[in-house]
Amino acid sequence: MSSRVEILNDGGYRSDGRRQYELRDISIDLSPRGTADGSALITHGLTEVMVDVFGPKEAKSRGQSVHDRATVSVEVGIMPFSTGERRKRNRGDKRVLELAASIRQTFEPIIQTSLYPRSEISIFVHILQQDGGLLPASINATTLALLTAGIPLTDYVTAMTCGVHSTTSLLDLTILEENDLPHLTVASLPRTGKVTLVTMETRLHAERVTECLKIAGEAGKILHKEMKKAVEARTQKLAQAMEMAPKVAVVGGGSGGVGDVEMEDEMDT
Amino acid sequence: MATTFILPGERVRAQHVNLKLGPGLLQHAENDQDTKIISTKAGELQHSANNSKWWIEGNSKRYIPAPQESVVGVVTARSGDGWRVDIGSAHPAYLDGLAFEGATKRNKPNLKVGSLLYARVSLAHKDMEPELECFDAQTHKAEGFGELKGGFMVRCSLKMCRLLLNPNHFLLPLLGSRFPLEAATGLNGRVWVSSKETKHIIAISRCIESVDPDGGGMDEAGVHQFLGTLDI
Amino acid sequence: MPRPPSPSIPEKEFLFSSLKESLRLDGRQPLETRTPILTFGPDLGWVECAMGKTRVLAQVDAKMVKPPPERPLEGMITIHSEVSPMAGTEYEPGRPSDEEVNLTRMLDKVLRRSDAIDKESLCVLAGQRVWHLRLTIHCLSDSGNMLDCACLAGIVAFKHFRRPEVEVVGDEVIVHHPSERAPVPLSMHHTPFCFTFAYFPDTDTAPVIDPSYMEQRISAGLISIALNAQKELCVIQKAGGVPLSEEQVLAAIDIAVNKAVALDKLVTKRLEEDWKGRKVEVR
Repeated sequence: MSSRVEILNDGGYRSDGRRQYELRDISIDLSPRGTADGSALITHGLTEVMVDVFGPKEAKSRGQSVHDRATVSVEVGIMPFSTGERRKRNRGDKRVLELAASIRQTFEPIIQTSLYPRSEISIFVHILQQDGGLLPASINATTLALLTAGIPLTDYVTAMTCGVHSTTSLLDLTILEENDLPHLTVASLPRTGKVTLVTMETRLHAERVTECLKIAGEAGKILHKEMKKAVEARTQKLAQAMEMAPKVAVVGGGSGGVGDVEMEDEMDT
Repeated sequence: MATTFILPGERVRAQHVNLKLGPGLLQHAENDQDTKIISTKAGELQHSANNSKWWIEGNSKRYIPAPQESVVGVVTARSGDGWRVDIGSAHPAYLDGLAFEGATKRNKPNLKVGSLLYARVSLAHKDMEPELECFDAQTHKAEGFGELKGGFMVRCSLKMCRLLLNPNHFLLPLLGSRFPLEAATGLNGRVWVSSKETKHIIAISRCIESVDPDGGGMDEAGVHQFLGTLDI
Repeated sequence: MPRPPSPSIPEKEFLFSSLKESLRLDGRQPLETRTPILTFGPDLGWVECAMGKTRVLAQVDAKMVKPPPERPLEGMITIHSEVSPMAGTEYEPGRPSDEEVNLTRMLDKVLRRSDAIDKESLCVLAGQRVWHLRLTIHCLSDSGNMLDCACLAGIVAFKHFRRPEVEVVGDEVIVHHPSERAPVPLSMHHTPFCFTFAYFPDTDTAPVIDPSYMEQRISAGLISIALNAQKELCVIQKAGGVPLSEEQVLAAIDIAVNKAVALDKLVTKRLEEDWKGRKVEVR
């Protein structure tokens, strides 16, 4: 079944006017919401994902707690209004469970769980709108939400999809492109350049994969810059708010905010 | 002594003034005069030299604790003053913190979750949790019991560990003639083995697995040949 | 919920140190798979696959149904897989565990979504009658790497299966009983095989292919690669776990490519042997 839409026209533009390696518009909102310890809203074009993080807190049941580290639990909710046709997915849907399992397994080695024995970190992923790149958007949002919750991570995790159209590779696919092209989802750690998650569901020749992995890794680095910018902006805002507050001696004054960010960076690296 | 194979429900003609029945045998009274002894599991019918003790030796994998048997267990949790130990039975066993040689209220061994133990079942009652001890209750000496450090734990069938405990069985002496090794055989289908070299431990583990009547049931000549193929 | 006791400290330490020396407990090389043993049942499409003590039974049957209106020209394939506690004490009936979700999804991706079977050839009468293939996977015992075993059993079952010959006369469909006309094999585009590699927390330790139960338990991450003998990758699945460099992923793919060619030969040979020994009565 070939679609009526031309994936890549002769001028080298995609159906939504993007170039081959052009990413969609990304916006990040890290303002706190509700009672969550950390939350993040990220949009990749029309895909919109919100993540709330609670924890580290006491594990819900004793059976779930592990004596020497924190457990990570992930629940994914796909909003019925997130797709064109309204459709409710029940919680037992294998696709949703798989999404949750992949997010959990991606973050388990990245979160320093051994710092919080016998506790639980719960991650709630809400998918508000979907237009391709569900898993990468969820992973990026989870990274940001964990950061705002102050949970120690060894690195950022950035994820991106990369598709192949005959011989050219395309980045950040929309749902239209995702349906037609074999594609690879890669989650990478920008600092070491290592990949933690690779998934691919459609047939693709082994030689094409190499290129895809590389390009998706590069895209991850760009994403990392964007995400870092957002975290820095938020930290600066918090630092400013501290300055406004009763005149407790804030070391370094205006530059204190920047200093904070740098320190955080050092801890990351 | 020729071995008699027996199936569940068969009548066993065991008679002795002081008769003791072991696992797999049941005394079944139809009326007051006529009491019969019948078997409840399949296996080899065994009896002691003077015909006073009778039991059936089967080959199962699930361990049912019995007092005074030595077992190899894994610590799964701390509980109160002691530990909960997995010995492969239906319920976890309890090991008191004071059931060690020289242990006092202040000076208890430090076992971590996941430690391996060689212990003896001190209490096994069908309505209670099995209990373990790591010393001889009379002498308060360790006698080889305690934490097992290093090495590897091999799982086998219950028949296999009874065979390994038999001093006449060929396997351990044969392996011992090739390289030095340490072994602690539990009656719960777990054997702890240790040797200096990794490949030796692997060789022991593979030999036990292939000699296991539940797996290959290899004989002495077969093991000789098998050891020849291994790089040891 | 009682979790299965995790391997004890000495066991873990020993396995890590032996894997570091590239020694495996069952005597295999790190990149050596267990040779799968395929047993065919009396019916076509009944296959039992054993890799060591891991055993999976797969069975295919076909039924004539009316296709859904949105896909009138394609046959249907459904895969039923449930891991019952029979396979191992850690599986519980009821809420599926992560492993079970992963197994079901991977089977779906490897066997159904990879287009291994030509669905259009299953159409008998457009919009009226199509074949509905049902694959049932029974996991009999789990001794590590059940996924590869289940995928292999499933794909071999599809290859082994033959559906009854049909004839369309006007608007009528005549299904010929296997005793009247020889049943026909399914038309397949390709044969995907799945290979799983286990990586360990210590980055110096080389990965192992086809992990045993213990190796899987102590591993820090798995990567499953499904591909056919033509070097076409169908599924790559590495959901989290220890981070790997690109080179490591590509190296795993390279190994899987070679293994797939060998496995394809073995499967073809076994299927041929079985077919020769089988008498299909045609009057």
